Amino acid sequence: MADEALFLLLHSEMVAGMYRAAEQGEGENGRCTTKLESMGFRVGQGLIERFTKDTARFKDELDIMKFICKDFWTTVFKKQIDNLRTNHQGIYVLQDNKFRLLTQMSAGKQYLEHAPKYLAFTCGLIRGGLSNLGIKSIVTAEVSSMPACKFQVMIQKM
Amino acid sequence: MSRQGGRGTESKKMYWYLPFISPSASLQLMNSELFTLTYGALVTQLCKDYENDDDVNKQLDKMGYNIGVRLIEDFLARSNVGRCHDFRETADVIAKIAFKMYLGITPSITNWSPGGDEFSLILENNPLVDFVELPDNHSTLIYSNLLCGVLRGALEMVQMAVDVKFVQDTLKGDSVTEIRMKFIRRIEDNLPAGEE
Amino acid sequence: MTIHNLYIFERGGRCLFYSEWHRRRGPGIPQEEEFKLMFGMLFSLRSFVAKMSPTDMRDGFVAFHTSKYRLHYLETPSGLRLVLNTDLGVPSAREALQHIYGNLFVELVVKNPLCPPRAPVQSLLFRQRLDAFVRSLPYFGPRNPQN
Repeated sequence: MADEALFLLLHSEMVAGMYRAAEQGEGENGRCTTKLESMGFRVGQGLIERFTKDTARFKDELDIMKFICKDFWTTVFKKQIDNLRTNHQGIYVLQDNKFRLLTQMSAGKQYLEHAPKYLAFTCGLIRGGLSNLGIKSIVTAEVSSMPACKFQVMIQKM
Repeated sequence: MSRQGGRGTESKKMYWYLPFISPSASLQLMNSELFTLTYGALVTQLCKDYENDDDVNKQLDKMGYNIGVRLIEDFLARSNVGRCHDFRETADVIAKIAFKMYLGITPSITNWSPGGDEFSLILENNPLVDFVELPDNHSTLIYSNLLCGVLRGALEMVQMAVDVKFVQDTLKGDSVTEIRMKFIRRIEDNLPAGEE
Repeated sequence: MTIHNLYIFERGGRCLFYSEWHRRRGPGIPQEEEFKLMFGMLFSLRSFVAKMSPTDMRDGFVAFHTSKYRLHYLETPSGLRLVLNTDLGVPSAREALQHIYGNLFVELVVKNPLCPPRAPVQSLLFRQRLDAFVRSLPYFGPRNPQN
């Protein structure tokens, strides 16, 4: 069982490492976000694989999204998503008012421009988790005031 | 009722450890595997980004170092451990407190050199490698090399220059995982350490 | 009872953070020199105490006082030095310094990937939380002229 601090520091160093490599010409900047997102995707898949999947457990798509907001988020980030909204047409917005990967950075606007780097992995995490629950999606994130952020999930019809 | 896995022997191994379980129990396992899975994803990505295993090993060591110089502060704050008087005390603290705190295992300490400046940590099982198999074309990859960097970085911040390396690895077929730690010298005051 | 100011140094002598609350008098030298002076003095005091201690040492140098103020000192094995100056009404600020290190500095600076290690602290969040904490201390009173 690994400690929370260890994951936090590993995640930070992964972000730093990707961008450091990009600066040294080992990859373009845009690729960093993609790489972080795909690492998150793999982890999200792996996490859900451990969970005994019984598709009958989930009544519908909304039920799955609630699972992500409650159980999945609590397991990974020790708290639930604070607010889930949907247009009932395949778009969901998950709001975390105190996102655990941002709380150490700032409570407001300082460092805001760096926040997106620290959200890419989690976007992938959500996408990967959903993928193993049978849902294909595109996940993006935005921050307007730290440490609150919103993850937008767009379900793709397969 | 279990899901169809697509990963051959790895899946079978997984299901042996995880018989049908209630959701809350499996959530516990999910949590403990976040770090392991994230680490695995990192190693996989680095193997794609770098041509050869040696470069990946170096990157893991460097990243570990950067983590170590920060992790040490978290460790000192939470464990309340004071300054160690000698390398033996350091070994005890690393094995019995630090490893336990961060990875939930307690390696044993063996093979002290006569001068007391080298010892081995023996890990019966390495949580980083749960469900990992090294593919054939990565025989020189030191999968858990991050740990070496972490230890090196952390100890540098408490004024010890050390050399850390894996000498046995269960991933490579050895019966245990063995990390060898060697004390090189004390780092005197007024030398600021920092990020590589 | 009151708190005057706080310094945080790293092992190499660089001042990472400084904040003041009720400092009534400055040293009359530029801030950079003040930091050097403080660090140098601490360094010497530490060695002095280690050498000249008539008994076995436990924590080493922890405080000194004058007729007007007390300087409290905490050093971590990682070389971070925290200095808090208070009036004489505060016999020990060890717990406060430990809280500042463990709960504030570690959580908001060390674990903030945007704060480079051992560099002057730019984090506003750290400054805010530290300020709130110091102000919440029981011995952070309004200035009391009768010290």
